[in-house]
Amino acid sequence: MDTYTNIAWVIPLLPLAGFLVITALGRGFRAASVWVGSALSLASFVLSLLVLIERLKPNAVDYNNGFDWIRIGDYTLTIGFEVTNLTALMLVVVTLVGFLVNVYSAGYMKDDERITVFYGYVSLFSFSMLGLVLSDNMLSFYLFWELVGVCSFLLVGFWYARPAARAAAKKAFIVTRIGDAGLFLAILLLFWYMPEHSLSFTMIESVFDHQGGTITAGITTLIALLIFLGAVGKSGQFPLHVWLPDAMEGPTPISALIHAATMVAAGVFLVARTFDIFQASEAAMTTVAYVGAFTAIFAATIALAQNDMKRILAYSTISQLGFMMLALGLGSWTAGIFHLFTHAFFKALLFLGAGSVIHAVHTQNIQEMGGLGKSMRVTAWTFAIGALALSGIPPLSGFWSKDAILTVALEQNPLLFVVGLAAAFCTALYMTRLFVLVFLGKPKAAKASIAGAKESPAVMTAPLIALAALAVIAGFVETPWNGWFASWLSDEAGASHGSALAIVLSIAAGMLGIVSGWLLFGKRRERSGAGFAERMPGLVKLAENKYYIDEGYEAVFVKGLRGLGTALAAFDKYVIGGAVKLAGVCANAAGKLALRLQNGQVQTYSLAAVLGIVVIVIAIIGRRMLS
Amino acid sequence: MLPSYLTMAAILFCIGLYGALAKRNAIIVLLSLELMLNAVNLNLVAFSKYGVVPALTGQIFSIFTITVAAAEAAVAVAILIALFRSRGTVDVEAFDRMRR
Amino acid sequence: MFNVDITGEFIAFFAFAAIMIGGAVLMISLEKVVHMVISMAAVFLGLGGMYVLLDAEFVAFVQVLIYAGAVSILMIFGIMMTKHSGESEPVRPLHEALVAVGALSLFGLFFYAIRTTDFPDAAAAAPAEDNTMAIGELLFSGYIVPFELLSVLLTVAFIGAIALAKKEAE
Repeated sequence: MDTYTNIAWVIPLLPLAGFLVITALGRGFRAASVWVGSALSLASFVLSLLVLIERLKPNAVDYNNGFDWIRIGDYTLTIGFEVTNLTALMLVVVTLVGFLVNVYSAGYMKDDERITVFYGYVSLFSFSMLGLVLSDNMLSFYLFWELVGVCSFLLVGFWYARPAARAAAKKAFIVTRIGDAGLFLAILLLFWYMPEHSLSFTMIESVFDHQGGTITAGITTLIALLIFLGAVGKSGQFPLHVWLPDAMEGPTPISALIHAATMVAAGVFLVARTFDIFQASEAAMTTVAYVGAFTAIFAATIALAQNDMKRILAYSTISQLGFMMLALGLGSWTAGIFHLFTHAFFKALLFLGAGSVIHAVHTQNIQEMGGLGKSMRVTAWTFAIGALALSGIPPLSGFWSKDAILTVALEQNPLLFVVGLAAAFCTALYMTRLFVLVFLGKPKAAKASIAGAKESPAVMTAPLIALAALAVIAGFVETPWNGWFASWLSDEAGASHGSALAIVLSIAAGMLGIVSGWLLFGKRRERSGAGFAERMPGLVKLAENKYYIDEGYEAVFVKGLRGLGTALAAFDKYVIGGAVKLAGVCANAAGKLALRLQNGQVQTYSLAAVLGIVVIVIAIIGRRMLS
Repeated sequence: MLPSYLTMAAILFCIGLYGALAKRNAIIVLLSLELMLNAVNLNLVAFSKYGVVPALTGQIFSIFTITVAAAEAAVAVAILIALFRSRGTVDVEAFDRMRR
Repeated sequence: MFNVDITGEFIAFFAFAAIMIGGAVLMISLEKVVHMVISMAAVFLGLGGMYVLLDAEFVAFVQVLIYAGAVSILMIFGIMMTKHSGESEPVRPLHEALVAVGALSLFGLFFYAIRTTDFPDAAAAAPAEDNTMAIGELLFSGYIVPFELLSVLLTVAFIGAIALAKKEAE
């Protein structure tokens, strides 16, 4: 029957095997590691595709299999994998982007000394991410969740010789840890309150779907918010977004794979996977929606004022993840996943394009670039497609998914709709700015590398073209007139929910963004947006400095924690350490006292024994006499 | 007559004990130990004649004890000589390596 | 005890007791080590006499041979092979006082126990016809295994003693 679905567990194991082989081969086998990594990721992509094709059959049944992991008393913890339409889709997205990044990295990382290590890490990440996607219960999900976090840490800090990379890796790890702690608490609460302590997603779905009063509303909200905290950390939502822009210190293919397409989407995936818990709690849904919407507009405005090419894309990612969260919070998780699906392609495309540019010109500052469109035609064209898709211009994929979200927002909450529209406008604006400054006009810095930039090799442009094609067509699985994707994903008869107003406003926002971007940056590109900056210097400065969030965290949390740490250290040193020292001194004194008994003289010991016997015998006789 | 013998044995035993614990010369300590063993032997032989069930077993026991004591004395003197060679004294106060 | 008849055994007992206690006290209090050993030999001889009083002629014989003979000679050998600067002045009065207290109180306990115990007034067993033969029969019938084990112990002890004493000489 479902042959490939039954062996879906092989999919994550292929990259794991790749990781083991590459690690075992060592640093000498540079070409071999590239081939092994790419071949195995291609194999897992093909297998995922076959699984997806099987899932496309009508009425495909969710497949779940596993084995008992730990048995404690009556409680049995099973570990296994589950194939649903959602996981099958995620499998394909992850393996496809993973494969393309593998191919792309063969060019991008060609001259790096540690390319084998890089491929090993990427394979390990693919394994973790696929395991995360396939997990059928919260515990193994959490395991893989941490594992992708570790891989992200390793890859962000890949160029660990650079202090900025080290700091960024630590920041990414520590900030996501805050969210992970929330997720862990949520799992503990679930374990405590779920019937039979079950943690499997199926059980969670059935329990929260039919709220039989087994779990009170307050606890449900608490669990949902804690899970959302985990998602906020991983998906870079406000206020835990600060790590994602810094994570751009990693190699660009990694930014495309981990920090745009897959891992950061894990938070969205998590919320979608446990969506029944959120649906059972009105407050949690509202929180998700507002946090998402705020993040979308907040990050988009920051992106307007950044000058680092990758950072702009990073803030754009945060903003788009905010869109996904907005969709989830509004109850349409299919729209959120749809946007995740399309976003994975065009954002990976944009990152890889950015990587291609950076590879050619060796700088990330867009103020120094310009006129690259002539020398790097393939990159420019594919980047343009990605930018248009992100800006939401029909008929590219980003338009359809963003429109799906905006339509839901319009139906449910006009305020959030307006915020989303504003974010879409900003998106178009900053993408136009980015494109214009990089590819059009003339180079602004007299750098030989910019003037003489050459197109990247085919091994790097081929993935760009593939992703560009996907960015164009991926949106057609769901249009306002055809709700096939949503109904396939959710097993519910999806009504087509076209809204002319939403479509028109969405297109208008996108077009307006592009036009105003052209006017602001295209026409007066010599002054590079100085007009806007002159008019509102305070606002621009605010956005340039990312609303001083990092500085605020530094002042409140880092300084505060450091002060607390100093106080605690003093407490430890003087109170606890003093107590320990006192105990030591006491023991020492007692030892010295006892040492006088232990003089090494056998006769003394014997004397003690004799006296002891005398005392004992006298005591016994005395007792006899008394009784 | 039995209490007389037992009292005699007790006197010998206690003198032996004093010698074993108070004397500093290791050879005298050994002699005192022999004295204590002899006191026990006297008890055994006395019970062998005046005990509730008089039997020769007491004498057999004392012969065994004497034999073991002889072996002990031989080994003890050998140890003492070895110790004297390494430490140059037979003063028991000098043998306090256990403290360190 | 004090109301017993003054028999020959009684007189002999007290004579031997006087020798032994005197020897023991001398052993404790004498200055020179060789003198101590000789007074100790007197104690051993007195004890042999007491064994004769107790109808244990063979044990008395063994006592004189082994203790008064072999062990005393062994001790004298030990003394001669080590150096003795004579008993130094007592430098640990507290220790010796405590030992005296312990020994005396132990004796007090013994004495109290002996006085309070009610020994059944069993008639003294008739002495065996030939004490040595009776012991020999018992030793080689009922106690043959301990006897053999003891011979092994003696062998081991003497070999060990030789090895210990010889080791440093090489």
